[in-house]
Amino acid sequence: MLKYSLKRLLALIPVLIGVSILVFLILHLTPGDPARIMLGPKATEQAIEALHRQLGLDLPLHIQYFQWVTNILKGDWGRSIQLKREVLPLVLTRFKATAILTVFAAFIAITFGLLAGIVSATKQYSLWDRLLMFLALMGFCLPVFWLGLVLQVLFGLKLGWLPISGMHPPGQAGMGSIFRYIILPGFSLAVGTMAEIARMTRSSMLEVIRQDYIRTARAKGLSERVVTYSHALRNALIPVVTVVGMQIGFLLSGAVLVEIIFAWPGIGTLMVNGILARDFPLVQGAILFVATIYVFVNLIVDLVYALLDPRISYN
Amino acid sequence: MKGMKTVKRIAFILILGLAVLAIAGCNGEAVDSENTIVIGIEAEPTSLDPTQIVDYNSSRAAMEMYDSLIRFKDGSTDLEPGLATEWDVSEDGLEYTFKLREGVKFHDETLFDAEAVKFNIDRQIDPDHEYHDTGEFGYADTTFGMVEEVIVLDENTVKIILDEPFAPFLGNMAMHSASMVSPAAIKEFGKDISQNPVGTGPFKFVSWDPGQEVILEKNEACWRGAPQVEKLIFRPIKENQTRLTELEAGSLDFIVGIPPDDLQRIRDTEELLVLEQPGMHTWYLALNCYRPPFDKKEVRQAANYAINKEAIVNDILKGTGIRAVNLLPPLLWGYTDDVRDYSYDPDKARELLEESGYGEAELTIDFHVPESGSGMQQPVAMATAIQSDLEAVGFKIKIQQLEWGTFLDKTEDPPETNEFIMHELSWMGDNGDPDNFLYTLLCGTQWPPKGFNGGFYKNDHVDSLLLEARKITDPARRIELYEEAQQLIVEDSPLIVVDHETQIVAMKKKIQGFELHPTGVFRFDKVTIQ
Repeated sequence: MLKYSLKRLLALIPVLIGVSILVFLILHLTPGDPARIMLGPKATEQAIEALHRQLGLDLPLHIQYFQWVTNILKGDWGRSIQLKREVLPLVLTRFKATAILTVFAAFIAITFGLLAGIVSATKQYSLWDRLLMFLALMGFCLPVFWLGLVLQVLFGLKLGWLPISGMHPPGQAGMGSIFRYIILPGFSLAVGTMAEIARMTRSSMLEVIRQDYIRTARAKGLSERVVTYSHALRNALIPVVTVVGMQIGFLLSGAVLVEIIFAWPGIGTLMVNGILARDFPLVQGAILFVATIYVFVNLIVDLVYALLDPRISYN
Repeated sequence: MKGMKTVKRIAFILILGLAVLAIAGCNGEAVDSENTIVIGIEAEPTSLDPTQIVDYNSSRAAMEMYDSLIRFKDGSTDLEPGLATEWDVSEDGLEYTFKLREGVKFHDETLFDAEAVKFNIDRQIDPDHEYHDTGEFGYADTTFGMVEEVIVLDENTVKIILDEPFAPFLGNMAMHSASMVSPAAIKEFGKDISQNPVGTGPFKFVSWDPGQEVILEKNEACWRGAPQVEKLIFRPIKENQTRLTELEAGSLDFIVGIPPDDLQRIRDTEELLVLEQPGMHTWYLALNCYRPPFDKKEVRQAANYAINKEAIVNDILKGTGIRAVNLLPPLLWGYTDDVRDYSYDPDKARELLEESGYGEAELTIDFHVPESGSGMQQPVAMATAIQSDLEAVGFKIKIQQLEWGTFLDKTEDPPETNEFIMHELSWMGDNGDPDNFLYTLLCGTQWPPKGFNGGFYKNDHVDSLLLEARKITDPARRIELYEEAQQLIVEDSPLIVVDHETQIVAMKKKIQGFELHPTGVFRFDKVTIQ
């Protein structure tokens, strides 16, 4: 397992090199000039050329790339062109907000998704099954931005139960009230994934429940609860874990819309603004960071398989 | 039966969850101090150093902290003394001497003096200045490009020498880029001055939590008198609908960027107040006069008659702009509406197209449109309306949508390689001078990449009027020159002006005494809270 993990971690290197080249090329080959966007519509040609020199944008592309990579390896992630701040601290603080949101959403999605899936499968074709699967289908289809706005109006404006946007009350920074602030964005983000997990769990459970060893377990006289949770669920979870792993990547990227609607200060909004402003150092740094996280999440998912299914072994 | 238990358990958990939510809800919003105004802006400020600011979200949050030597009066672009108490312009219009207000201190307690003025201007325009590399100054050339030297005469007197007479210079000295930043702070923070602003204005900096809020508090020692409001909190909220919901729920006190469809409802809401005023903004189509078909005046005029601007303003913008007849916004001095009237007249447009002699081949053109952009209002919807109007009289229009950064870049290509035959753009004035619109956008010396005359318009007579008007200081004579220039320009129709955007803000009625300013910055220094 350790050897496998190390091997996977080594494989991270070519992945990141690939990602860095890809991001660098896509950004630099897209038309649009960061200097012009940064200096605004009223800057002169000389000012823009001077800024190109200052930012090193007048150098050949491969030299710019190597400079960037060497600096990253030295721990210098550069300075955001648009926001005039160091990239690394900026990415780290913003990622923290996204991570909190994503983890919360994943928690809701997995908990309620699994429960709904199990109930549906054990009570196949019952009223509960139909109701839950109908809700799952709805949740799967609802656009996040629409759901987010509706939740804001309902719980924030009409009922006045929950705050509408942001991460804390104005002027009161800190994590003290984060629970109240995360509910609406977290739920909006979770709904799609929750639905996906519920549907996946149901179909996977149904398949397992019909297998011989479940009948054997029942015949042994085990209680229905033990049969469902210890015997059926564990095996049904493997495809679900795959979906969860993929969905976490989806949550990370889906967070962009939710972050914009709920003014959540995460990395998604940072990247979108960065791309629009051709903020090369910021976008490159942020994408590299997110790609690294994504690779780690995938690794963890693969390790979880082995825990769930003794037949899978990485030794 | 076991299954039933599971169901019950799930139902229990769900109900428990809802109960927690409801209880959490009962705690209610933490009540802000009475004297705080929470303002919803459209995006995160990029810098709070006024010399580096190129967008409204930054200037709205920052300009409460700064003063310049000359200020725009409240509610207008007329000038009044700021950090300078009086000034004197030499006969030849080359030397400006400013007498500075004595005893004014920056928020860091250092003294404002003539050296500080010199430091601030030199930092922006002198590449060899020790602190030139502490920022990127997008407006330096527009504001101070004509400055040859800044001389400190004594502690409270400073003389600025220009390399050629430039009539709008006093207006430039009131622009945001001419604000005075504490030299001591620039020396201390270097490039990070962007996040550590220190000025002399009525509010001073408290904190900036990236992506969340910028907090300012009142400056008790302000030379203009301390403001009534204790605290200003600027919150960037990108989504218009969210910002509006926050205002209606009461968690924001003041917002910009109200969706046109919701405007009437907000106007009718008892507890809210909507302020509207045309700003120094013009939305226009630039026609490429360098190439067919718009190299012929008849075709440009035909396009101008063909477009139903009234309908665009009423049906697309829903009254968030006023119809334009001229490039200058009506609230600017020198404006005249005594120009050729291009009211919607498709028949006349067809006649003019006929006269031009151009056929379908020439009249088939690409129309370049940005997806969004600063001051662009609703670029795509407006372009679609324009397309159908033009096609109705015989043009064949293909809309090409570009992302804003890419679009801006292409507008600056030189005439030989510029692929834009027709594109939309908008302009916002900064110094309250007609020169800022007419010379900058239409003088024959200002073709890209040097300037912003993106339609490559050139009329020698117009050029001579505009060049003369920027050299002389007699206001009456300047007005005459600008009026004549406007008549000639509108006759030539190098641009099709559509509307002037209305500045719209909505606030709680408890905020009293707020007045919109034509330059688009906010002034909360005289506001009181009931």
